[in-house]
Amino acid sequence: MSSAAEAHRRRRRVETPAEQTFADLMNGFTLDSGRRRARTTSEVPAREATPVVALEPAPPVFEPSVVDAHDASIVRAYAWTGGRTRSNINLEIETLVSANDQSRQSAGMLQAEHQHVVELCRSPRSVAEVAALMRLPLGVVKVLLGDMAERGLVDVHQTASAGGDTPDLGLMERVLSGLRRL
Amino acid sequence: MDYVGSRFPDCGPPGPPGRELTSAKVVVAGGFGVGKSTFIRSIVESDLLTMTALPPERAGLVTELVRIQFGRVWLDPGLALHLFVAPQWQDPRAGWNDVVRGAVGAVVLFDVMRPADSVDAMRYFEDHRIPYVLALNNVHASIRSDVKAIIRGMGIDATVPVVNCDPRVRPSVRETLIALTEHAKLDRWRRRPGPDETTPLAPVC
Repeated sequence: MSSAAEAHRRRRRVETPAEQTFADLMNGFTLDSGRRRARTTSEVPAREATPVVALEPAPPVFEPSVVDAHDASIVRAYAWTGGRTRSNINLEIETLVSANDQSRQSAGMLQAEHQHVVELCRSPRSVAEVAALMRLPLGVVKVLLGDMAERGLVDVHQTASAGGDTPDLGLMERVLSGLRRL
Repeated sequence: MDYVGSRFPDCGPPGPPGRELTSAKVVVAGGFGVGKSTFIRSIVESDLLTMTALPPERAGLVTELVRIQFGRVWLDPGLALHLFVAPQWQDPRAGWNDVVRGAVGAVVLFDVMRPADSVDAMRYFEDHRIPYVLALNNVHASIRSDVKAIIRGMGIDATVPVVNCDPRVRPSVRETLIALTEHAKLDRWRRRPGPDETTPLAPVC
């Protein structure tokens, strides 16, 4: 019974970020040292705070909480981007990106997440596909791909609607004839 | 990592490498359980992928992640068509901008038994002047006049095509997409909008 109550409390804890600001979420993850936590105990009861610290390194044994894993990876992902949520390069969700020769040659020297993107984009993939296959939020992937594009590691194939909100007629014609051939 | 390799085999463009590539997208909207994913699966002939996005921050709060399903099919050696399921949301208008911006148009799947489910989507597309077709999940060959009356009574633009569609059947889905693209083309000609006439679609993330 106690383990069920524990699991329930853990589940409730992972839902609480919905009520926190994003800064709280980030600070909670990146600055999660025991010393800091001790100082903030006046806000959070000690009994509540302990399981979180104990929980993080332990691999989920039963019924791994998807939300839990996701929250952690999201925070980690935003840490990769240095907290930035926007990219300098215009990337729509359907924009195709592909690895180029430079990235293939320097694959061994890239940081891990860039290397994963290069491997994924050996054949052209859209921003949405990269986000789905890497299981990262769209905003993070846009920043990641924007950085890589600026460094010349991936080629960005602009969509025909780039710069405007409506695709041009030429593209629509192509879509139409493509659909008729399907 | 396990996401690279066998589970997601390369499915690149059928053309030679180095060819100029571009992409287009279509949004599929409608009420819960009306067949949006089935519609897309029928045309891409593979399982759908799911991406996540943080909805726009409201009053400094981080709300839950939104999952957006989509599929992709190569229409010619350089053109990838993406089909996105418009996410179900408490406030649909808040989160659709990234999905909808630059789309060829939208398919609103319309359950004739639950017409009210599709109203939000239709209103959104009309407000943002996104061309769309109404695809009725009507098994009958012709659209019944009472259904037509309901649809027209909802105040929908008379130029919006209304078609029958069985999301499980590929040719039916294909015809619906063709109807949409033709409508979008005509719509483009008819309206010739200035950029400031439409409500700007601000990025979500």
